[in-house]
Amino acid sequence: MSRTRLLRTTSFRLATIYLALFTASALALSAFVYLSIRHEILADFDERIVEETDALQTAFAKGGRERLEQILEARGEGGGGFSYGLEGPGGTLLSGELRAPAGGAGGWMEAREAEDDEAPEAKPEIVRALATRLSDGSILVVGDEQRRSNEILRGVLSAFGWAVAATLALGTIGGLWLSAQFLSRIDSMRLTARRLMAGDWSRRIPLSPVDDDLTALARTFNRLFDRIEKLLIANKQVSADIAHDLRKPLASMLRRLEAARDGDASPASVSAAIEAAIAEIEGVLETFNALLRIGQVEAGARRAAFRPLNLAEVAREVVEAFQPAAEEEGKTLVARLDAPLPMSGDKELVVQMIANLLDNALRHTPPGAGIEVAGKRTQGGISLTVVDDGPGVAPDELKAIFQRFYRAEAARTPAGTGLGLSLVAAIAELHGLECAASDNCPGLRVTLTTADEEE
Amino acid sequence: MKILVVEDDEETADFIATGLEARGHEVTVAKDGREGFERATADRFDVVILDRMLPQLDGLGVVALMRAEGVSTPVLFLTNLSGIDDRVDGLEAGGDDYLVKPFAFEELMARLSALARRPTLGSSPTVLKAGDLEMDLVARTVRRGGEDIDLQPREFRLLEFLLRSEGRIVTRKMLLEQVWEFHFDPKTNIVETHISRLRTKIDRGREVSLIQTVRGAGYTLRVPNPAA
Repeated sequence: MSRTRLLRTTSFRLATIYLALFTASALALSAFVYLSIRHEILADFDERIVEETDALQTAFAKGGRERLEQILEARGEGGGGFSYGLEGPGGTLLSGELRAPAGGAGGWMEAREAEDDEAPEAKPEIVRALATRLSDGSILVVGDEQRRSNEILRGVLSAFGWAVAATLALGTIGGLWLSAQFLSRIDSMRLTARRLMAGDWSRRIPLSPVDDDLTALARTFNRLFDRIEKLLIANKQVSADIAHDLRKPLASMLRRLEAARDGDASPASVSAAIEAAIAEIEGVLETFNALLRIGQVEAGARRAAFRPLNLAEVAREVVEAFQPAAEEEGKTLVARLDAPLPMSGDKELVVQMIANLLDNALRHTPPGAGIEVAGKRTQGGISLTVVDDGPGVAPDELKAIFQRFYRAEAARTPAGTGLGLSLVAAIAELHGLECAASDNCPGLRVTLTTADEEE
Repeated sequence: MKILVVEDDEETADFIATGLEARGHEVTVAKDGREGFERATADRFDVVILDRMLPQLDGLGVVALMRAEGVSTPVLFLTNLSGIDDRVDGLEAGGDDYLVKPFAFEELMARLSALARRPTLGSSPTVLKAGDLEMDLVARTVRRGGEDIDLQPREFRLLEFLLRSEGRIVTRKMLLEQVWEFHFDPKTNIVETHISRLRTKIDRGREVSLIQTVRGAGYTLRVPNPAA
C-alpha cells in the first residue's frame, strides 16, 4: 500500500480536517488559559510587592530610616525573593541596589538592578518594582524579579505546546491508522473484484465483524456477485444446451443428405431427404426464434408497451381458440374465469404465455384428460392456474420445468423445443407474476400469482 | 403484378426476384433505401417489398417518406428481426404487413396477393358472397343455399377473412394473425381444427365444397369452376 494512496483516502482526508479543527481549538483554548494564568500570576506578584512595601513602611514609621536600612540590609542577605532600593532625598542610593526612577515620582515601574561591579558584562536583571516616597523624602523601591513568573509562564506555555504537539501526532497517527484500516477493507473489495474479473466467480468480499456501512456495501456487492454468478452459470448451461440441441438435427440432416447423395438417387428418395432436411431446419429455426423471444422478454424492453388488461378475458379468448383442438383430442378444456383479473401487461405476450401453458397441457396429457384454466383474485392481486389430470411431472423435477431445454424424462413427446415453459416463466416475470409448478395429484398444476412487492 | 423489391442483400433480392418472375410478375430491384424511395415515387407498383435494414435510408424511413409523398402503394416489410416491437414499429411507420426472414415463398406470395388486392377504404361491402354462400356482416348471419348456418364468433371471423380473400391462398400464419391476433405459432392445431369445424358447417352434405386445403401453403375459399 503506497504512502500517497494512504494520504489520498477519504478517511485520511476526514481525519486531517478533524485534526486541523481540533488543533485550532486546542490552540485557542491554550491561549485563553495562558493569558488568564499570566494575568493571575502578575496580579499575585504585584500584591506581594505591595504587602512587602506596606511592611517596610510600617517599620519606617516605627523606627525611622535607620531601622528601615537595618531591615533592608538583613533582607538583602536573607533573600526572600525581593530586591530593594532606598534612595536618599539627594538621589544617593542608601541601601539595596534598585534605583528609583528619575524625577522621584512613586508608583509601578520597570527597574533595573544597579550594575554589579564584579561582573559588568552581565546583563542587568529587569525587575518589576514599586517606588514609594517616604515621609522624609527618601524613596523606597521594592521589586521582585520577574524571572520566576516568567519561568512559571514558560512552563505553562511549554506544557500547552507539548499537548498540541501530542494532539497533532496522535491525530496524524490515528488518521493514518484509520486510513490504513479503511484502505485494507477497500483493498479487499478491489482484490475480490479483480479475482472475479479474472474469472474466479466463487470469490466474495470477506465481511468484517463490525457491521458498519462498508460491511453493508460489501454485503450488497456479494449479493450482486451471487446474481451475476447465477446468470453466468445459467448462460453457460444455455450455451451448452443450445449446442447439444443443434447437434442432433444437424447430424441427422447430414446423415440423410449424405445417404441421398450416395444412395440410389431416385427422385423419390432425394425429395424425401430434402423434405426431411427442411423439416429439421425448420425445427432449428423454431428453437432460435424461441430463444430470441425469451431473450427479448427477459431484457424487459416490453414494459413500455404495457396496458391495463383483464387477464380473465384474455385467458378466455385463448381457451376458446384451443377448444376445438382439445375436443378433437378427446380432452375436456374448461375455463373458470368469471371474476375479472385486472393487471397491466402486454396483451400479445400474455396471450402467448397462456397459449404455451395450454400447448403444454395438451401435449402431455392422454386422450380423455381434463384441463382447467381458473382465475381468482387474491389478497395481493390475481392468480391464474392451469391444471391437468395427466401423468404430471415427478416431484423432484417440478422446479426444473421452467428451465430452458428442459424435457421431462417421462415425457415422450417427439417434437418440441423444450422452451415453451421457459418463455412462460420469462413472460410471467416480466409481468411481476410468480410462476410455480406443483403436483395436482394426479397431473400438473401451474400457478401464476402476483408476486409480492420486492423490498 | 408489378413489384418493387428494396433489398441490399443480393442473395435475398435474387431469391425473391427469381421466384416472383418465375410466377409471372414484373420485378424491379433497388439496392438501398434512397434508390428504393426514388423508384417507389417515380413509378407505380402494385406492392413494395421492403427490407427493414438498408443502407442510406432504412426501411422505416423509406415508408415514412413514401407516405409523406402521398404514395399509398402497399408495403410488405421483410426483416431478420423477430422482435415484437419491430412489427409494431413497421406498421406504425406506414407498412401494411410484416414478414420475418427466413420465410417460405408461399407465405410471401400469399401476403403479396392479399396486399395487392386489399380493398380501398370506404368501399367495404356489408354482404360477402361466394357461390351460394352469403355472409351478412351487419346482421351477422351466414346462409348457404338459403339455409341458415349457425357459427361461433371466431368461426364467423374466420369465414369472413376467407371470403374477403376469396380465390386467394391464405396461410396458417395469416389466419392466426388476422383471426386470432396470435403473432406466434402455437403447437396446437388451432387453425386446422377451426377450419375443419367450419368446413363441417359450411360444406357437409353439399356437393360443392368451398374451403379447400392447399398443400404446403394454406387454405383457400373458392367456388370451383363448373366447367372444370
